Amino acid sequence: MNAIETKNLTKRYKTKTAVSGLTLSVAEGELFALLGVNGAGKTTTIRMLSCLSKPSDGECFVCGHSCISEPASVKNVVGISPQDTAVAENLTVLENMRLICGIYGFSPEVTKRRIDEMTGLFKMNEVLNSRAKTLSGGWKRKLSIAMALIAEPKVLFLDEPTLGLDVLARRELWSVVEELKGKITIVLTTHYMEEAEALSDRIAIMIDGNLAALGTLAELEAQSGESGLENTFVKIASQFGKGGVK
Amino acid sequence: MNKVSAFSSRNFKEIIRDPLSYIFCLGFPLVMLLVMTIINDSIPPQTGMTIFRIDNLAGGIAVFGLTFVMLFTCLNVAKDRSGAFLVRLYATPMRSGDFILGYVLPTSLLAVLQILITLAASFIVSLIVDVELNPLGLLLALLSLLPTIVMMIACGLLFGTVFSEKAAPGLCSIVISLASFLGGVWFDADGLGGVMLKICEVLPFYHAVKAARMATALDFGGYLPHLLITLVYSAVVTIAAVIVFKSKMKADLQ
Repeated sequence: MNAIETKNLTKRYKTKTAVSGLTLSVAEGELFALLGVNGAGKTTTIRMLSCLSKPSDGECFVCGHSCISEPASVKNVVGISPQDTAVAENLTVLENMRLICGIYGFSPEVTKRRIDEMTGLFKMNEVLNSRAKTLSGGWKRKLSIAMALIAEPKVLFLDEPTLGLDVLARRELWSVVEELKGKITIVLTTHYMEEAEALSDRIAIMIDGNLAALGTLAELEAQSGESGLENTFVKIASQFGKGGVK
Repeated sequence: MNKVSAFSSRNFKEIIRDPLSYIFCLGFPLVMLLVMTIINDSIPPQTGMTIFRIDNLAGGIAVFGLTFVMLFTCLNVAKDRSGAFLVRLYATPMRSGDFILGYVLPTSLLAVLQILITLAASFIVSLIVDVELNPLGLLLALLSLLPTIVMMIACGLLFGTVFSEKAAPGLCSIVISLASFLGGVWFDADGLGGVMLKICEVLPFYHAVKAARMATALDFGGYLPHLLITLVYSAVVTIAAVIVFKSKMKADLQ
């Protein structure tokens, strides 16, 4: 069974179609990157897949559950780290993680085990009792991802997880994501080509809400006749009349 | 219930870890209590002005203090809505009722604590200035203020849901001013009469203050209408807040 399946998934707003007829599938344990310029429809796609937005048309399934008719079941198997850091600022790192465990109704034993696991995975021991508002951007982003992961989701959505981070913090997050690879399904949106190139199994390129290309890096390179993801992306974007590049 | 208690605990901590909540929810009403007591002491007895006497002040200041609980409820909700934190929680199994209870329960506890402290401080002041305040009356004043607690917190939830983080405090300031002036906390609305009294009577604050004052004085002649009016207002505002919060959440998830 695929972890994610979308069929003709469409999101229309009053004057704009944010996602248009998106059909794709993501296998269990796959790390799937969604690439695109601002406004390409990446975040809207993630919002629909995590039941934060209702599709205007089409269907989407997460772990076999319909995002339209079974949102409660979908919410039990997904975790999301939104684009903006989503943490409770006046709570400590530990309290933020406890909050999510409480919301999912974990027992004290499970809560402790999951917090220990997240603390180890993200090496958060030194900041465990620091309030979130005092953390650097990199630590906040780690906490945000830890909060998405702590409920043991089967599918993790990372919406531009390294946006605005310095190179060291970004590389640290990459290593965490690499550790998760194969264990859970991850959908990652990013503007950074090298990030998608380094981490993902398959890449989807979205242009103006449409799926412009989909495949492994090698497949996309072969399709575009270019080498490297950045050149490939630019070529595909220009074929769709984007970016003014030829 | 796990979800509600986890979210309530978070909201409680968010508010009590903000130093401004102590200054406004506790410090300001207590300072006003002391300042008005000093002013009362300076008013010549022959004027017959008793509005600032501690038995009148206690209930009025308690209502005044609750307006700041409304402010902090509003700020908490508006802040959450303006950031990505609620987006994260929307993607969890939490339902709209869990959110509403999670916001309302901790602020209700804070409101009760605030009233208890205000009334206890009033009792101490009454001993100092030698004005009789019956502890039973103070307890009944607390009970009389329960609908007002609900109304103020519902107002906070409503304003925090409808208005942005920047607009909400300004709007709350208007309600705080209206509540203290048109509630007759700082002047004798009954003595004034006329249009001013009519305006006061239309709004719930005057009735909340009157109910608390009458309970404090163990004077129950005409008490029930004041309590009933605050009950009706609190029910209406609560229903409006719940409907608006639920529909806003639904719209957020469209």
